[in-house]
Amino acid sequence: MAIVLPLLLFVLSLNLGTYRIPPKDVLPILTRAVFSAGGGESSPAADVLIRIRLPRLLLALFAGAALAVSGASLQALFRNPLVFEFSLGISYGAAFGAALSLVFLGAKVPAQAAAFVFAVAAVLAVLFVAGRAASQVVTILLSGVIVSALFQALLSLVEFFANPYALQALIFWLMGSLGQATWTDLAISLPLIGLGVAALIGLRWRLNVLSLGEDEARTLGIDVRREKVLVIILAALTTAAATAVTGVISWIGLIVPHLVRMAVGPDNRKVIPLSAAFGASLLLLADDIARSAFAFEIPIGILTSVVGIPFFIVLLKRSGKVWL
Amino acid sequence: MKARVAGLVFSYGGFRLEIDELVFPGSQVTAVVGPNGAGKSTLLKCLAGILTPERGGTFVDGRDLARLGGRERARLVGYVPQEPTYMFNYAVLDFVLTGRAAFIPRFSSPAALDVEAAREALQYVGLADLERRPFFELSSGERRLVLIARTLAQRPSVLLLDEPTTFLDPRHETEVMALIRRLAVERAATVIVTLHALDMAMKFADAMVFMKAGAVVAAGPPDDILDEALLRAVYDVDIGIVDVAGRRVLVR
Repeated sequence: MAIVLPLLLFVLSLNLGTYRIPPKDVLPILTRAVFSAGGGESSPAADVLIRIRLPRLLLALFAGAALAVSGASLQALFRNPLVFEFSLGISYGAAFGAALSLVFLGAKVPAQAAAFVFAVAAVLAVLFVAGRAASQVVTILLSGVIVSALFQALLSLVEFFANPYALQALIFWLMGSLGQATWTDLAISLPLIGLGVAALIGLRWRLNVLSLGEDEARTLGIDVRREKVLVIILAALTTAAATAVTGVISWIGLIVPHLVRMAVGPDNRKVIPLSAAFGASLLLLADDIARSAFAFEIPIGILTSVVGIPFFIVLLKRSGKVWL
Repeated sequence: MKARVAGLVFSYGGFRLEIDELVFPGSQVTAVVGPNGAGKSTLLKCLAGILTPERGGTFVDGRDLARLGGRERARLVGYVPQEPTYMFNYAVLDFVLTGRAAFIPRFSSPAALDVEAAREALQYVGLADLERRPFFELSSGERRLVLIARTLAQRPSVLLLDEPTTFLDPRHETEVMALIRRLAVERAATVIVTLHALDMAMKFADAMVFMKAGAVVAAGPPDDILDEALLRAVYDVDIGIVDVAGRRVLVR
């Protein structure tokens, strides 16, 4: 059931945009593109749909699911409603890696690979700084803040050394945008995100057990250290694969899991898959607004923050009860 | 199944737990008592696999728990924690289901069989009609029973309970102790429970272990070992024992 919403939005979004493509034309263009190898026709409508709109919408779906599922999983794992990709340094680790690759390494190293390496480096640094007290909520948040700050500084260093042309592209990318998605980027990112999200959905009930705390999970028969590392690696992988293409898109990983829990309760068997569906839908919707509400395009990272934060505050005030 | 502790040494900071030999017979309730800081909970956590002893070992039915994998150990030994604080307010049935973790592969979710085991455990503790209620809405006594039900769903042969009656009113205290007694009698479980309430221990336990400062002072059936001198030695306070209609009663 939950898969219907993002798919419906996906189909509707294919028509949307500055270049309007009538709904009746969409399917013929798609089928011709699929069945005639090597490009087929090159009408403006087909160009817009195949080269620009389709990769963009696919990226919105996958990145939204990636960020929301990572956030939901990390919240359960660390038993902390305030933890998400940001608070563990993953986002800025990935951003630094991708920036490094974009500015200095050119096309030699895929941005996704660099983003993943530094995302994992960031989590490892967070866990190292937290040390033996890593299971404590405050310690891990504090370590996350420190490591994030370090990677933000390193990111500034990359900006400082980038030539003006690269700098402009870099700053625009950092604000978060789905518009630069190419099929080449997606060919790397989408399978990685798909793999990570699928694995985290597979672990959904395990997250219920892990969310009870390390000692209890251990007495229930779980190899806590191994499973913790697994979840962290998967969250870093999906976030890095998304961030490498989209730049930093914040709040999805925090807001979506909370909204889902408000609706269906805390059972991760529901929360994780629904976060995927709802995260995908939300980012797609946000992107629809970003590219069609105004004459110019707003970077989606700014939009998710500006719209997402007040939305969350209203829900927080209105619900008034504990939904965790 | 018999549980045994042999040559156990565990130290943390200035505290040192040292036990040469301690046997917990099967189908019996053993109450571990002693003042705060005596090492009761530490002993339980060593048995549960939460803490790893420096030396010596814990054995169940002759098998060294330290050599078992997590899943194997969880099917043998169940642990009911004292007053856990949880972040997520799971429904009672979902919470009890986590007791099935040792039977469910990593990338799977509970099957009908597991739900059945969880329901049966809730039935056994008398809370079958609360399965949809959020855990945080339960009373303190109900939470203790749900925690016990979770461990029952795990189907262990050895049950460890860390102060399961603390902060409970007399009625719920008695209910929980009666349930613990039933587990040993009806399910042939080896039950090891840490307690502060000596009267409860005397009434419901087959054997008592008196601990002080990380060592065992006395162990055996209450009638054999319990006297005023022992209480004085363990608790540093005078507690009298008087006979009331054939039952020994503690007076302070």
